[in-house]
Amino acid sequence: MAVDQESFVHLSRPLAPNVLGFGVSNAPLTVNIQPQAVFSIIDHAVRRDDRDTQSTRVIGALVGVRSEDGSEVEVRSTFAIPHTENEDQVEVDVEYQKNMLALTLKASPRETLLGWYTTSHELNSFSALIQNFFASPETGTFPHPAVHLTIGTEAGAPIETKTYISAPVAVSPERAAESCLFIEVPHKLLFTEAERGALGSVAAAADAESRSAPVVSDIENLAQALETVSDLLERVSGFVGEVLDEERDGNHALGQYLMNALSLAPKVSNLAIENDFNNHIQDVLMVSYLANTIRTQIELSQRLATAKLDEGKEAGEKKEEGAEGEKKSDGQRGQRGQGGKRGGRGGGAGGRGGREQREPREPREAAE
Amino acid sequence: MADIQKDAPIKSVQVEALVVMKIVKHCSTSFPTVATGSIVGMDNNGVIEVTNTFQFPSVDVSNSDSHSDASSLAAAAPRAKANIVYQNEMIRHLKEVNVDANNVGWYTSATMGNFINMSFIENQYHYQKDNEKTVALVHDVSRSSQGALSLRAFKLSPEFMTAYKEAKFTTESLRATKLTYKDIFVELPVNVHNSHLLTSFLHQIPAPPKSAEIPMPASLDDIRRDPVQIPAHPGFESLDLSIDPFLEKTCDLLLDSIESHYTDLNNHQYYQRQLTREQFKITQWQAKRKAENAARLAAKQQPLPEDEWQRLFKLPQEPSRLEGMLNARQVDQYARQVDAFTANITAKMFAVRGNLLPE
Repeated sequence: MAVDQESFVHLSRPLAPNVLGFGVSNAPLTVNIQPQAVFSIIDHAVRRDDRDTQSTRVIGALVGVRSEDGSEVEVRSTFAIPHTENEDQVEVDVEYQKNMLALTLKASPRETLLGWYTTSHELNSFSALIQNFFASPETGTFPHPAVHLTIGTEAGAPIETKTYISAPVAVSPERAAESCLFIEVPHKLLFTEAERGALGSVAAAADAESRSAPVVSDIENLAQALETVSDLLERVSGFVGEVLDEERDGNHALGQYLMNALSLAPKVSNLAIENDFNNHIQDVLMVSYLANTIRTQIELSQRLATAKLDEGKEAGEKKEEGAEGEKKSDGQRGQRGQGGKRGGRGGGAGGRGGREQREPREPREAAE
Repeated sequence: MADIQKDAPIKSVQVEALVVMKIVKHCSTSFPTVATGSIVGMDNNGVIEVTNTFQFPSVDVSNSDSHSDASSLAAAAPRAKANIVYQNEMIRHLKEVNVDANNVGWYTSATMGNFINMSFIENQYHYQKDNEKTVALVHDVSRSSQGALSLRAFKLSPEFMTAYKEAKFTTESLRATKLTYKDIFVELPVNVHNSHLLTSFLHQIPAPPKSAEIPMPASLDDIRRDPVQIPAHPGFESLDLSIDPFLEKTCDLLLDSIESHYTDLNNHQYYQRQLTREQFKITQWQAKRKAENAARLAAKQQPLPEDEWQRLFKLPQEPSRLEGMLNARQVDQYARQVDAFTANITAKMFAVRGNLLPE
């Protein structure tokens, strides 16, 4: 799944005069952003410390991987950088950035610094200054362009993301450090398959009033999914019903689509279905039964291993034989414990035997 | 302060969405190697709020290229010396950008719930011995691939902590403390939590339609080109019918557990035999010494001491019951897992039958 922008004009990206000879192509650049990067930026924006800075934005570094030809970058993680901004100056904690980058890269050596983010859409001369810092050969991403990501976090406005790269531009060499040309590049939010489930629970929390939701078990999840599906089916059949009653105009494309979907239902004889169904469900129940048997056996074995057997008799023995006999009764107790465990082991073997008999049937079950 | 904290035992764990995403990402990229990391946050009236996380440095496996090595190294990462330094350094840095700078535990990845082992215990003990309010988050990569997120929080029970501290897992001590395999862990309910800003962001993906009236598609291609954006919740992956591979995998793991149960039993039987043999020898020796003493007494000589056997013979050490207990706990977990699968698959199968054989 990728949340994409609808269309985008690909501009050939500007070449800085000094990157010639590094073999960097000027092909369009695409930025893929992984959700946890956005989440982490948003978290940072929420935790903004507004006591000793006038700025309404926070900045941080983007870390991720770059494809070999440099035409595609993937933002995998971010980290925050403390900075203060006043009317006429901006301070970025360079030392912090260096250390944090080193720490982050230690955990994931394959990733590199890609650029930086900020939480307002405004591009001003400070942005240029920071951008040049991140694109510079010593501290930045040179010879690749530094990516600048902006996320709007103003209340009342939709949370938009924009990505830019830059080219040096200046009227005089003295002003080069604080000016650059930002060029917007396309980007998309990329979800991998593994993240869908996580996103599901997160989205469930987003729908709730309290902004939190418990992690539900599989069966509850299934129930919710089934409910939604039946709800959707209800809506579709409602739509079809309305068309049939001539309450609303039909649509050829939708009709065709629904027909195609319906024709996907397999044509199997009722008997075969009944047969397969019974076989499969018995297999599944058998596995469940055996697993529980094994569990019981193991529990039994655990209990017997530490159970107190023949307490009265032992006490009697102790009295008779005194201190010396204590050791002996210990031994006997030990032996009894062993006897108990033997029972456990026999049981375990029984459970195991059951499993082994089952084993040959496994492939058939999987093939169904 | 300490008293107040002690009074409120941990009731649940609240995980920020950011943490969920980061853990899922880290675990799924390093799958099937175990992934571990540290979690930071704070304790708020018995609720542990996990607000951020970072992974431990990946271990360089260039010199040992097998997967199991990488896994075992990663599994041991939370208590490795170098990583403690790393963790402290990282937390110090996070503190500067207003992230809650308290360590509240660690996370690990798992496959079909196979995380119960010595390494897990040692890690959690390592954290919990210094700070009672730490948890282990377990993300099950395989189970999450079925659609529902599987994230669980565990801590060691206080009884187990005491026993582990003294390293006493003999039959004797277990009998005295009544500690069973069921009392090793305490599982805590996990809640996912979002910030306000994140909530509004989530409501934008997928973007809601721009106008209330959606234009009708003109042809089939229109529908295909612009498929419906399905909301992330509830996920329809959980409707997938192919659950058999999961059952099969769990069965394999169950068999492995039985295998280790056997090993454990054999160890104990070996110990029992050894013990009996030694005790037999001692009894023999004692009888012999008694006879000797009787002879000496008859000859009016000083009797020899009768407790010398304690020096001469050494009783074998009883093997620890801990392995067996962990194994039992693991089997328990697998069985429950199978139960859950069964419940799921049965429901789905009846649904399929209902669909194919309308009454």
